[in-house]
Amino acid sequence: MRGTAEPGRGTASDRARRVRPETVAALSWLAVAALAAAVAPIVASGHPIVLHRLDESGGITATEYPLWRMLTGADRAWLIAGAGMIAAAVMGAVRARRMAWWALGALVAGGMAAAAATAPRPRIAVFDYAERQARGEVRAVYTLIPWSPNERPGDRDARMLPPGIFEDEPLANLPREGVADDELFDARLWPVLVERVDRLPVPSATRARIVQRLADEHFTRHGLSGGEAERIARDCLRGGRRHLLGTDAHGQDVLSNMIHAARTAISVGVVAVGVATILGVLIGSLMGYIGRWVDGVLMRVVEVFMGVPLLFILVAASAVLPRSLAATMLVLGCFTWMGAARLTRAEFLRLRGQDFVLAARAAGLPTWSIVLRHLLPNAAAPVVIDASFSLAAVVVLEASLSYLGLGPPGRASWGLLMQSAKGEAGDFAWWLAVFPGLAVFLTALSYNIAGEALRDALDPKTHR
Amino acid sequence: MRGVVRRFLLMILTVLGITLLVFALMAAGPGGVAAALRPGPGEGESAERAAREAYLEGRYGLDRPTAEQYVRWLGRLSPVKFGRPPRIGPAGERLEAPRAPSPPVLLEWAGVAAAPAPSSDNVGSDWRAAADRAARALAGYFAARAEYEAVLRRYARSAGEVGAIDASGRVVPERLRRRPMDPSNAETPAVVEAARRAAAAHGAARSGCEAYGRALKTSALPSAGFVIVPGAVYLDRPDLGMSFSRGRPVADLIAEALPITVLLNLLAFALVYAIGIPAGILAAARGGTWIDAALRAVFIGLWSLPIVWSAVMLQGFLAHAGRLAWFPPTGLHSPGADEWPMLPFTDESGAWRAGFLGDALWHLCLPVACLAMGSFAVLSRQTRAAVLENLHADYARTARAKGASERAILFRHVLRNSLLPIITLFAGVFPAMLSGSVVVESVFNIPGMGTLIFDAVMLRDREVLMASVLMVSVVNVLALWLADVLYALADPRVSVA
Repeated sequence: MRGTAEPGRGTASDRARRVRPETVAALSWLAVAALAAAVAPIVASGHPIVLHRLDESGGITATEYPLWRMLTGADRAWLIAGAGMIAAAVMGAVRARRMAWWALGALVAGGMAAAAATAPRPRIAVFDYAERQARGEVRAVYTLIPWSPNERPGDRDARMLPPGIFEDEPLANLPREGVADDELFDARLWPVLVERVDRLPVPSATRARIVQRLADEHFTRHGLSGGEAERIARDCLRGGRRHLLGTDAHGQDVLSNMIHAARTAISVGVVAVGVATILGVLIGSLMGYIGRWVDGVLMRVVEVFMGVPLLFILVAASAVLPRSLAATMLVLGCFTWMGAARLTRAEFLRLRGQDFVLAARAAGLPTWSIVLRHLLPNAAAPVVIDASFSLAAVVVLEASLSYLGLGPPGRASWGLLMQSAKGEAGDFAWWLAVFPGLAVFLTALSYNIAGEALRDALDPKTHR
Repeated sequence: MRGVVRRFLLMILTVLGITLLVFALMAAGPGGVAAALRPGPGEGESAERAAREAYLEGRYGLDRPTAEQYVRWLGRLSPVKFGRPPRIGPAGERLEAPRAPSPPVLLEWAGVAAAPAPSSDNVGSDWRAAADRAARALAGYFAARAEYEAVLRRYARSAGEVGAIDASGRVVPERLRRRPMDPSNAETPAVVEAARRAAAAHGAARSGCEAYGRALKTSALPSAGFVIVPGAVYLDRPDLGMSFSRGRPVADLIAEALPITVLLNLLAFALVYAIGIPAGILAAARGGTWIDAALRAVFIGLWSLPIVWSAVMLQGFLAHAGRLAWFPPTGLHSPGADEWPMLPFTDESGAWRAGFLGDALWHLCLPVACLAMGSFAVLSRQTRAAVLENLHADYARTARAKGASERAILFRHVLRNSLLPIITLFAGVFPAMLSGSVVVESVFNIPGMGTLIFDAVMLRDREVLMASVLMVSVVNVLALWLADVLYALADPRVSVA
């Protein structure tokens, strides 16, 4: 890359250096998504980072770190992968490129494999930190987005809330139709709430404002139900943070879900495409290298797999096979290998008769050496380019399956969020359609743009 | 022409492969095809349960090896069938004596001889009565067998046979056969008694089925199908099975759903080609200008657009009652549209109505747009690349040198040569669009194949699942074959190999 002396590499290196802005944007988005996936449990969690237990007089008796304690093995694996990614980026910046790529590859692959292998199924949870805080038992410091993706409100009024920030967004647009009279705010709760707010460890001005808001807007004017009032109060007690991008049909935070869903999207994409590429290269090289009847038979197999419309067979498979993250990855991989196989076959057919292969054969090299050392590296470019486009396709497929409710169960997914956009009551929850859909779209778009850039860089035949 | 025929034969091979793939997928689930289709313990009433067992027994052979189940199923599906054709009943249904069910397991282990089939000489020619008797005998056998298996389970449990009962609560005969029956076990007399009863019931069921077969043979009912070799080979329509969740033949369900999906895709396809090719030509003709750059950005954006997202967004913002209700949000027809005339009309109050056809088209606008959006970008990119390549070709330069106008070069010379890769692109676009219709139909609630298969998943109806995946694949493969034929017609250099 650095040398300009070689005349043959001049153009390639020039072309590589002229990185188009959309490529930079695409890679940036992918980096953001991957980073979000890696650090999701630290950035978005309903568990406080620090939890001080308080005694009667407000003194600290003990200190816990629930967020760290609740990290699973998968979370740690993801964090290691994220650290590897950052390290690779840093090393890339100081131009130790080869090492950077190896570090990145090894860490990301290792982390994802570990994450896929060990990830337990997250359960729906109701957290009690806020209540304990309200009772004055504890004081908590939360992370950036103080919601876990699977955290549901404890009361029965789980409603889809539109995006809003507590400090600015008026809560007047909270849905309040359908609140029965007997559900209206129970006046007996009021002194309890005020008392709780009074004991909050925040400046008195904030306390006063919270009380003011509770009194003015929510209870008297909007006739909210007791559960709703409780919930708002609880949100206030949590440092005034509301759901930045709203909530879904179960009352779960959308932003937190989206950050955690980046994990599902990226790991499903990478593992499924990895499976598909390995399978495809294996089958394709068999077809291309051996030829004859093997080629004929395997070509029929390729045609059989290409004859079945993908989503139909995926939907059918989800009905039969056990539903889990690993199964989703494997099934997606096993039904998308045909492109890689055909490309590998074509490349092998093209290369098979070329001089360097004949020379290798004449030199008496074993078959595995000819295939692995000589043919495969020369056949890799189209497969790698195709893998990038496959990533885009698989991300969209995963979202579609999750939208249909057939994705990996119990896991945050962009597709699953879109599912509740068409609300039960017939409202259109636009925030559930726009934000997760945009994430799917941007990820697919980025993979496609990256694929195009790869093609321009690797494939000298295409002239735009 | 030879190539086309060869290709057609290969296509049949592909369809056969798809049946194998679909069956293998279904059999890969826990317990295999038969176990998954079998009613679970306590599921359904006894009469319906017996009917279901008899159906599955006849269609797959419940305790047969998977390979034999596949061959049986394939025999049902195939339009070319072997054996004697069934009779046609008064309501047009196919009448066929059920295959004799497999005998109860572990008979010799329990020391019970299989009951010899009682010879039934008094064969009435009344096939209805025979059918009734056969059904009753079968139901009796299935009940006796279920009872026998329950007793076996109790025996296995009390004998401490670990692994003799599998995860789905069924007895594994191989495990019990390892050791002779324990005479001191408290359940042993019950096992022997139940085995004896099951064996007797099996004999009755077998003879009932045979008697029904004889009654059908002697009846005056007409034969179904088109006989090729008498008594051995005949043609008949494929038997796609019965949907128990809906109580209707699967073929009927597919006959309703498939045309809707095909219509949806054909409309989208027309739209794709109508917009995609001109847009691609425009981008190529203005190559290097801002129009080209803008179109490129639009193409790559649309290409990456997930159908799920565009469908949800279009429905939410353009069709939702609470927002711009420009289009109907779901379904295929307005309520009451069945009574409207085909074409637009004015009703009694003088208001203009779109008519049945217009109404359906109006409902189809958004779904078709969603399906077309992604595919048209792919087509445009391909068109652009092909036209651009040809614009730089030698013959285009020659035409330019002899003084032909750019417009003439583009439309007379370049375009014709660029259309070939566009035909091959069909193979890439059509399957993707077909599979996109699963999502679109789900979002817009259109009763096509996607909805059918989705509902089948929800209702756990494997017969519908298998048949509909298969039928959609057949449509897909046929379309791909058609594209090959078109390609051969368009380009005489290509012999379709």
